[in-house]
Amino acid sequence: MVVDHETPSLENGQTDKEVEENANVLQFMDSMDAYLTLIHSLSSTLRRGWLELASARHSMGASRVNTVLLDHTSHPAATSLLVTQDEGKVDSGKPHFTLCKWASSSNENSLLGEKHSSQDKLHPQLRHRGSTELYEEKTSSENKASREVDDPVQKERSKSLSMFGTLVSPKLRAAQLSFEH
Amino acid sequence: MYGFEAMTFNIHGGYLEAIVRGHRAGLLTAADYNNLCQCETLDDIKMHLSATEYGPYLQNEPSPLHTTTIVEKCTLKLVDEYKHMLCQATEPLSTFLEYITYGHMIDNVVLIVTGTLHERDVQELLEKCHPLGMFDSIATLAVAQNMRELYRLVLVDTPLAPYFSECITSEDLDDMNIEIMRNTLYNAYLEDFYKFCQKLGGATAEIMSDLLAFEADRRAVNITINSIGTELTRDDRRKLYSNFGLLYPYGHEELAVCEDIDQVRAVMEKYPPYQSIFSKLSYGESQMLDKAFYEEEVKRLCLAFEQQFHYGVFFAYMRLREQEIRNLMWISECVAQNQKSRVHDSVVFIF
Repeated sequence: MVVDHETPSLENGQTDKEVEENANVLQFMDSMDAYLTLIHSLSSTLRRGWLELASARHSMGASRVNTVLLDHTSHPAATSLLVTQDEGKVDSGKPHFTLCKWASSSNENSLLGEKHSSQDKLHPQLRHRGSTELYEEKTSSENKASREVDDPVQKERSKSLSMFGTLVSPKLRAAQLSFEH
Repeated sequence: MYGFEAMTFNIHGGYLEAIVRGHRAGLLTAADYNNLCQCETLDDIKMHLSATEYGPYLQNEPSPLHTTTIVEKCTLKLVDEYKHMLCQATEPLSTFLEYITYGHMIDNVVLIVTGTLHERDVQELLEKCHPLGMFDSIATLAVAQNMRELYRLVLVDTPLAPYFSECITSEDLDDMNIEIMRNTLYNAYLEDFYKFCQKLGGATAEIMSDLLAFEADRRAVNITINSIGTELTRDDRRKLYSNFGLLYPYGHEELAVCEDIDQVRAVMEKYPPYQSIFSKLSYGESQMLDKAFYEEEVKRLCLAFEQQFHYGVFFAYMRLREQEIRNLMWISECVAQNQKSRVHDSVVFIF
């Protein structure tokens, strides 16, 4: 009986290489599933937004909601992603992701809203040294920060709707939220 | 004196009343709307409308159709009918018919001023203006920097001039001032129209008082709901309400301090005519409020045709046509966006 030492066989007759390939295929399928779910969610949110915009036009009238008043020039997205390196922390060197809501393009230092999304949330089963207390502090600071940034975020939302008037229908605000999401 | 219109109305108004009642018979029925709601594409809608009075206006439009094209052509039909009636009318009916268009004139003025403030092309803005509200010097609105210039350069020679006395300032035109100007002008217009109808007397005064009061009350509710969560103060909100209507003055005082839709509901439910409107809504909901108000308005407009020898039928017809155009716009949008399950959310049947 000849034994092949270069490719050791496993219980199911699969090699390491095949196991790794299967794992990659599974990961690809999971990613694809997540991607399709996100695409479907995006599509349904956009559909809802367009219908709400039509509903707002029906409510407010075509003279207040029409294509001429829409701003066709390029402008910053409602939500942007800021990637930084944490310094002076235990896990320095790992990227830190921050979602900025309505960040002003003219002044990059004045971030109007932040929602911290650390790697803890991406892989909740992974634990960092002292992460429990740190997470609780982060949660309370996030709540405080979210209340503080609500007003500036609302102001930015109102500013972008100002071309349709100051007193706009709730349906138009709902459409704005759908497109923002 | 009320009751003697039957003896003299037909001398000057009989022909046009017959014309407008004929036009009323051409409004789309529930069967027409059911057919339209089952259409799969905008070309199907065009095919169904070709069998109605809108046919000649849509037949030459090439495919692919757009929802705005359907709305524009249907509006064109309304404008043609209005112009025919206006050129045949004598005083005071001709003034009455002109009053009907002042609301559109105000909307056009605000559109031009707002668009210019946000640096939009004036020609594109003029294309989006409602044809019933056009006047000769409307394009000159784009050069005004404040309300005083707006009045001095353009509006002094228009029918809106008397309504500007309450909002002439030298303040620059910004979003809030434009919104205040819009509502102040519209309130002044509604009150002026109301007084004109009262002066006409008879059935016209009775029927138009009810319709205009409803319009004033609906505007008060919409202003309240739209200003919730904005920087508009309670005092400023109170100033935007009209000085007549069922809600004036006590309802307005209560609406001015409302902070959410449920408080608005609590105020409105004290008034029996509006209790039925808000009873159709669930608590915290405001999405169906527009449809509920439109349904109530259509009911009142249809009742105007039950009486003869008054001018209210002309106002009612114009409003019913505008409601029909809104219905067509909504159906077209639902078909174009493949959202036919939502088509009955905002369609208001007239018959």
